Amino acid sequence: MSDSAKSKTKGVNRRQFMGDMLKTACGVGLMGMGLGFYANKADALPAMAIRPPGALPEDEFLGACIRCGLCVRDCPYDILKLGQLGDDVPTGTPYFTARTGPCEMCEDIPCIPVCPTNALDHSLTDIRDSRMGLAVLVDQETCIAFLGLRCEVCFNICPIRGDAITLEYQHNDRSGKHALFIPVVHSDACTGCGLCEKACILEEAAIKVFPMHLAKGELGKHYRIGWEEKENAGKSLVAPDIEHQYNLPEGVRYDLQGEGLIIESKEDAELPISSNPLDTLNRGLEDK
Amino acid sequence: MNLCSAIVHAKPEQAAVVTDRLQEFSGVEVHGGQEEGKLIVTIEGTEDDALADTLTSFNNVDGVISTVMIYHYCGEDAANEEVLQ
Amino acid sequence: MKLTRRDFVKSNAVAAAAAAAGVTLPGIKTAAAADADGIRWDKIACRFCGTGCSVLVGVKDGQMVASQGDPDAPVNKGLNCIKGYFLPKIMYGKDRLTQPLLRKSGGKYAKDGKFEPVSWDEAFDVMAEHWKKAIKKSMEENAGKPVDKMTSRVGMFGSGQWTVWEGYAASKFMKAGLRSNNLDPNARHCMASAVGAFIRAFGIDEPMGCYDDLEHADAFVLWGANMAEMHPILWSRLTDTRLTKPDSEVHVLSTYEHRCFELADNGMVFIPQSDLAIANYIANYIIQNKAYNKAFLDQHVNFTKTPTDIGYGLRPEHPLEKAAKNAGKGKLSKISFDEYAASVAEYTVDKAHEISGVPKDKLEKLAKLYADPKKKVVSYWTMGMNQHTRGVWINGLVYNIHLLMGKISEPGNGPFSLTGQPSACGTAREVGTFCHRLPADLVVKKAPHRAFSEKIWKLPEGTLNGKVGYHAVLMHRMLKDSKMNTFWVMCNNNMQAAANMNEESYPGWRNPDNFITVSDPYPTVSAQAADLILPTAMWAEKEGAYGNAERRTQFWRQQIKAPGEARSDLWQIMEFSKRFTMEEVWPAELLDKAPEYKGKTLFDVLYANGEVNKFPVQEVKDTDGNVYENDEMALFGFYPQKGLFEEYRLFNSAPDIIKKGHEMADFDTYHKVRGLRWPVINGKETLWRFREGYDPHVAKGEGVKFYGKPDGRANIITAPYEPAAESPDKEYDLWLCTGRVLEHWHSGSMTRRVPELYRAVPDAVVYMHPKDAKKRRLRQGQMAKLQTRRGELVARVETRGRNRTPEGLVYIPWFDAHRLVNKLTLDATDPLSKETDYKKCAVKISRA
Repeated sequence: MSDSAKSKTKGVNRRQFMGDMLKTACGVGLMGMGLGFYANKADALPAMAIRPPGALPEDEFLGACIRCGLCVRDCPYDILKLGQLGDDVPTGTPYFTARTGPCEMCEDIPCIPVCPTNALDHSLTDIRDSRMGLAVLVDQETCIAFLGLRCEVCFNICPIRGDAITLEYQHNDRSGKHALFIPVVHSDACTGCGLCEKACILEEAAIKVFPMHLAKGELGKHYRIGWEEKENAGKSLVAPDIEHQYNLPEGVRYDLQGEGLIIESKEDAELPISSNPLDTLNRGLEDK
Repeated sequence: MNLCSAIVHAKPEQAAVVTDRLQEFSGVEVHGGQEEGKLIVTIEGTEDDALADTLTSFNNVDGVISTVMIYHYCGEDAANEEVLQ
Repeated sequence: MKLTRRDFVKSNAVAAAAAAAGVTLPGIKTAAAADADGIRWDKIACRFCGTGCSVLVGVKDGQMVASQGDPDAPVNKGLNCIKGYFLPKIMYGKDRLTQPLLRKSGGKYAKDGKFEPVSWDEAFDVMAEHWKKAIKKSMEENAGKPVDKMTSRVGMFGSGQWTVWEGYAASKFMKAGLRSNNLDPNARHCMASAVGAFIRAFGIDEPMGCYDDLEHADAFVLWGANMAEMHPILWSRLTDTRLTKPDSEVHVLSTYEHRCFELADNGMVFIPQSDLAIANYIANYIIQNKAYNKAFLDQHVNFTKTPTDIGYGLRPEHPLEKAAKNAGKGKLSKISFDEYAASVAEYTVDKAHEISGVPKDKLEKLAKLYADPKKKVVSYWTMGMNQHTRGVWINGLVYNIHLLMGKISEPGNGPFSLTGQPSACGTAREVGTFCHRLPADLVVKKAPHRAFSEKIWKLPEGTLNGKVGYHAVLMHRMLKDSKMNTFWVMCNNNMQAAANMNEESYPGWRNPDNFITVSDPYPTVSAQAADLILPTAMWAEKEGAYGNAERRTQFWRQQIKAPGEARSDLWQIMEFSKRFTMEEVWPAELLDKAPEYKGKTLFDVLYANGEVNKFPVQEVKDTDGNVYENDEMALFGFYPQKGLFEEYRLFNSAPDIIKKGHEMADFDTYHKVRGLRWPVINGKETLWRFREGYDPHVAKGEGVKFYGKPDGRANIITAPYEPAAESPDKEYDLWLCTGRVLEHWHSGSMTRRVPELYRAVPDAVVYMHPKDAKKRRLRQGQMAKLQTRRGELVARVETRGRNRTPEGLVYIPWFDAHRLVNKLTLDATDPLSKETDYKKCAVKISRA
């Protein structure tokens, strides 16, 4: 609670209040349930919606993006989605959700060259330079690495591990003879791809990627995201789409006019096994 | 049921006064921590907005240095259901 | 007390805030939460690696609902790795097998039939029919043969994940009952080379040190062990020592860079197989600099050499075997110190550098560390040294270094072979589930050892088979050749785990002459390739005991019931033995020597023998008065776990034992402790063996005594560098190395059913150098085809992952049932230990 004095503020609006809350809580590692609370209420671009690599700053991006969907089409991993009517994401604009489908950081960044308007900045040629967002280890209380358990999944999975996420070794005072392997995110290298958030083994990820605009808010810079801008952007530009088809794994549907990606049942879709063992057994061995 | 807890920092010498002021808000209860200047507060409400606004308005109370939310429970379950007898 | 949900939530909220603020609130209802959860806690050893962490598991309403690291366990002090974190989930995979399944067609067993549910009765009937046929044929073939020439057509493949008594019961079933030494554990794939080297150097199995070395050493050398991922909790202890002890060092040797290199002060990537040259160079350096401990050598060491050019454990008709001068030979002959010194003299730093590719300054840094008498050094290794066609040799070469310096058998100094499995030591090694072993380091080849075992097992003289049985790799060859016809695989997934699946394993299992039974909780790749699948109660669903790498034996009580009709391996073995009359398994002339056994069943002779059934049905209770079930006790009407363990103790703790040094405490004691490190004598554990004061078998004034050897001296065994069985060539131009990842256990049959672990690492990827990828027009994330002379598979390319391979080598983990890595690997083994080299074969890679 060392920074408590400086956060004395009066007459703040809710967003500033939330920003402060986030900062304070991160500082002392106490986010816990608070974050879910925050995420519920940030009605601008949802905290969990991340723009593709090379996206211009949100205001400019919303102006430049013509909602053509080409980036979504050319994403080889099909992680990009388009905001739908009624979504919190401006309609027709591309985004991805780190927890379910993070950016795989293709070396050739196929989503960028197809962007006809430079809303995804064509000058970005090295995926390592992209700043889609920033991973934040939001909950040090449940992150099992802080408890001294040997996990480090976020570190292991990080495509630029060693730069974007490093491990800080600390002595475990409690056990007296073990080390802690603490993951530390470095904003100068983290691209915000979200692989760490997806891989986090907790029921609710302890490491999360926030969109850069939110990270900016944390840094206290003024910016405007709001429902007004959402209304100003988009609506009239949307032309009825031709029928979309998607590359989807088994057990996953895509509802264009509705909720987007639908994973039939999370566990079922994630594990490549049938609940009836006979299906597995009588199928025989892989390519036998 | 929608319930959260928070730590409200206040100068120890003002803690008693702050406690009274905080308890004036609807759904707010202070459970202790006056000695340390870290008041343990719960806020109960019916929807998120009310809690957020209440928490925000804590900062307008004289003597409050900062507010840190710790725990938030938001569930459809009936609050008065007996879970243990 | 009445409590509403509001009260409950509020008290949690207040408690959380108070804890965060460091404020103590009198009277907050934290106790309410504990009361409300109603969880019964008990200790259990972790199901996974050889570290042997203890876990507390919480059971409520017959379900395991919670777990935590055991804060009182000396090994892990409340910590777990990510697999341990998810332990309760491994039993609740949605496709648990709950009833026996038999391949059938038209209502009858058929080798090419589809799996259908059957009763246990039908399952055992069909199984017994095939086993009896094979046993009958073996008895005909063995008629008139002496015991050391007997063969057998029945085989069983067990596990270092069996509980101690399951391994013991299996050993007795096969060796005493069916007179077959065709019993081998998957530990053969794991640490047989370490065993071979222990016996050759010290005459007794298992490490002399213990995990306390992790705090006492000044320096650590990893020879082919990725402890950071494979022994996560030990690695956190090693890391802590490196952080907190001034001037401590970590040296890491590997054929590619892995997570341990992050901590390494001296990281060395060597060309596969060249560890032999590096170890010899260090010995040479020590000798050239006269740094060796002469007094220690004079008093405690013999110098020997081992035959060279010994082949690669392939089928005898393989050109490499035909070309080998001394295929499979390992008899040691004595040499002098000077002869030993001469034998390593050629391994100069230049030569070691040339063979290994490791920069000379790094090699010298390592050699200096070992040669510094003031530095306490522990060497650790696992599969890098054991899964090696010269595995026994390289284990021995590292012992040579420690023996030359006398850096052994004392706190902070010693070689330490880590085990991969939770009970590779406790079960596979100690109770003798290998094809050449009997309990407590006795071997089938020695007549006095057999006689002693026969006495304990109450068998007529000459019952036990004196011929070494088929080892793991040979079993698959014998199945393919129709020389072994029934095969029971328990507690492991050998179709996925054994090398050269396409040419040996699969054709062997699907050979119409053979009947394959697999006991498993899940439909694994092995189950898919079986004829009969028996649903198994796992881990906490039975009372158990494991022995970890530091000789620590840990017990647990049955916590929950297995689903459906699933039954423990112990029940399966003992129950199946009821299907055989003695007349069906022993020839008349043997039975004439024990006429009281006539008309009895194998169960009567092996398990209702007055020892195993000595302890009546009783309540299993902890000190808090909680009562635990014991399904086997209920079904058999006696306490089989206790009876089996106490009978096993006659091998290691009775006054007349042949080989001292494996003494254990009694059954009840182990239930009251977080494990004890054997030898346990007069209730006292042994931390460092062979050292006066620490080891009660070393008498006052002896200082050090390697009492496994008759003269009390350890062997330094010289062996040269010899090349690998298969090296890259023009066509197959890359080394292929296989192994594990932190998140998954072995073949993934448990961990891949935990959604969080699956999400963390869903598929096996092939780690390769970016330049190697580029040469093949491959990029990060693309699918690549891996081809060897034996098979092929497709996997995604990873050029930036946790493992950084050098140019010319690729690494792929084998946990993925959708990418059967062992279609690629070669079944070359160490000719001495018969352990497969999973780390080296040649592969070519192209765009898929």
